[in-house]
Amino acid sequence: MNPSFKLLLVLIIALEVSFTRHLTINLVLVAVAIIYLLTKRIRPRLFGWLFLMPLFPAIAVFITIAWFSPGHDYFYAWVLFSRIYVYVFTGAAITQTTSPLELTRSLEQNLHLPSKFAYGTLAAVNLIPRIKMAVKTIRAAGQMRGINLSWWSPMLYFKAILHAITWSDQLAQAMESHGYVEDRARTSVHQIALTARDWSILIISIILIQIITFALP
Amino acid sequence: MNHLAIDNLTFAYTPKHPTLKDVALKIPVDSWTLFYGASGSGKSTLMRLLAGLLPKYGGRILQGNIELPNGLTVAMMFQDPGMQFALDTPQHELEFALENLQLPANKMPARIEHALKFCGIEHLRDRQLATMSGGEQQRAALAVLVAMDTDILLLDEPFASIDNHNRTLLIQQLTLLQQKYHKTIIVADHDLHGYRGLAKQIIHFENQRAQLLDAAASDALLQSADQLAATVHHVKLPTASDQPILTLKKVVIEHGDQKLIMANDFSFFKNQTTLLTGATGTGKSSLFKAITHLAAYQGTIVYNDQDSQKIKPRRYAQQVGYVFQHAVDQFLSVTVKEELALSLKKGRNPYFDEDHLAAALKLLDLNKLQDRVVYSLSGGQQKKLQLLLMLMMGQPVLLLDEPFSGLDLHSLHNVVDLIKASQKVYPQTMIIISHQLEGLEKLIDRHVKLADCQLSYREEF
Repeated sequence: MNPSFKLLLVLIIALEVSFTRHLTINLVLVAVAIIYLLTKRIRPRLFGWLFLMPLFPAIAVFITIAWFSPGHDYFYAWVLFSRIYVYVFTGAAITQTTSPLELTRSLEQNLHLPSKFAYGTLAAVNLIPRIKMAVKTIRAAGQMRGINLSWWSPMLYFKAILHAITWSDQLAQAMESHGYVEDRARTSVHQIALTARDWSILIISIILIQIITFALP
Repeated sequence: MNHLAIDNLTFAYTPKHPTLKDVALKIPVDSWTLFYGASGSGKSTLMRLLAGLLPKYGGRILQGNIELPNGLTVAMMFQDPGMQFALDTPQHELEFALENLQLPANKMPARIEHALKFCGIEHLRDRQLATMSGGEQQRAALAVLVAMDTDILLLDEPFASIDNHNRTLLIQQLTLLQQKYHKTIIVADHDLHGYRGLAKQIIHFENQRAQLLDAAASDALLQSADQLAATVHHVKLPTASDQPILTLKKVVIEHGDQKLIMANDFSFFKNQTTLLTGATGTGKSSLFKAITHLAAYQGTIVYNDQDSQKIKPRRYAQQVGYVFQHAVDQFLSVTVKEELALSLKKGRNPYFDEDHLAAALKLLDLNKLQDRVVYSLSGGQQKKLQLLLMLMMGQPVLLLDEPFSGLDLHSLHNVVDLIKASQKVYPQTMIIISHQLEGLEKLIDRHVKLADCQLSYREEF
């Protein structure tokens, strides 16, 4: 499916799920997302993670509603519990099947997002490994100068923010020196197709979700 | 018009201190020009002005202007190899650049193929740029410029963290670009060896001015640089009386799935200054990161007869210091004064009392910069300050990763003198990674070469 449409669909699902109290639709969505991920051959270990990671917050929410809310509303507790899994699995359905670059290209070509925004975000994503290493380096630099920088130390954040500012400036200069000009048309080497099939999947999915949500108990 | 005209240009980052003053130059197109001068003399600044990045990204033109020949395109390669890519792999970056130029999609594969081949990095096309060595990144950066087919190529200290092999290789390719494809190439470099017969003119930067040198002066400069680079220095091999201070036992260091270093039993020795050399990407910096526990490794790194992993991080950081390749990584405060105060308070190197510190600051030309924000210093000034700060800390072992890159010869000699003076009072073990070998002969006691994943002592460098 077209990456932008996939994102759009997941956003619509997330919104709709947030404003409804419907257990069936949550379970259906989780099941569909799992089946989708299975067809994309996701590593079993990752599946384990996707189940385990949200488990604690989900249980915490469940307990709060089921035991400590005035109505002891078990149904609503299950709705909230499953809602968290809807977010996680539909989210994974995007992140595990689409690279950030594909999504960026699709957003630019299909949804006509300004390229500045699309590539700026992408460049920031590509900076993440560098950011991790930078934090490690800052702490080492501190220790070697006799200062222990803890996670809440202002100096750590000052340095990290400074890094971010210089990097964003350098990145802008780098993009520009590789021919990037704001608001100028660009060609694209990989056309991200937006087919009738994408439209139908999107529309049919949305209709199906409405039917289940409002027609079924 | 067949030259880049710089007319009476005065440019300043801060209004009162112009970086360039009344600069008037004509740089011919279809030719190779060198910008030569001390660190902080304005080479990078003029380059960024030519590239159109300044004053857009800072500073102001107070007077004069720059005119490029009509229709000629400009692209620039930066000093920090890691910070010039918006995307993750060479292939993607090349596609991004060509899309920006609005090249039709069907023409891209051939262009990309040609550029990768030209720079000899076909095998790296889908590798993550973030995991590449500085030399590989610079070749990828050159590939982008080649693919873009720009008329004017500006290269700011492109070889600053590259060994001689890659440097020669890149210079060859640039020569080809110039002679066969008639590109205008401008390189800023503090080290002039290997340019003889290539560079048509040298522009010398000094005291905010920039001047074209005449043919005789240029040639003399290039010749003496070549002579210096060809000199071989002799050092001794370790002797039986040397005491090991850092020992690698069955250590394996990897990068991705590539083995970089395998050391069964290799020692660095106490109170010696050891030069560590090896081609780009062989893993010299990775070794330093392993020793300081910033990167993972297998095996045991023994410090003073103790497994270094068993020493508390806080204590270990007081034993082994790391002078990072990027000077700004070392800084913790805002101004030069604050940085010095911190090192003075926490440092344990007895050499740096008040008088010696004042003398050191003067020697390194940092004495008038005390109120400056460290991030606003030039690259060379940052390097000098960084080294001074870490010398003051006085760890028994100091690992220095390219501490001299971006320094001109004059600054280099002063830095070496300072290290020697400090060592006389307070001996330290130093391991130095440096591509820059001129001017180091006084400093180096031992030489270790890293090749084919093995470390070994050598008698010359």
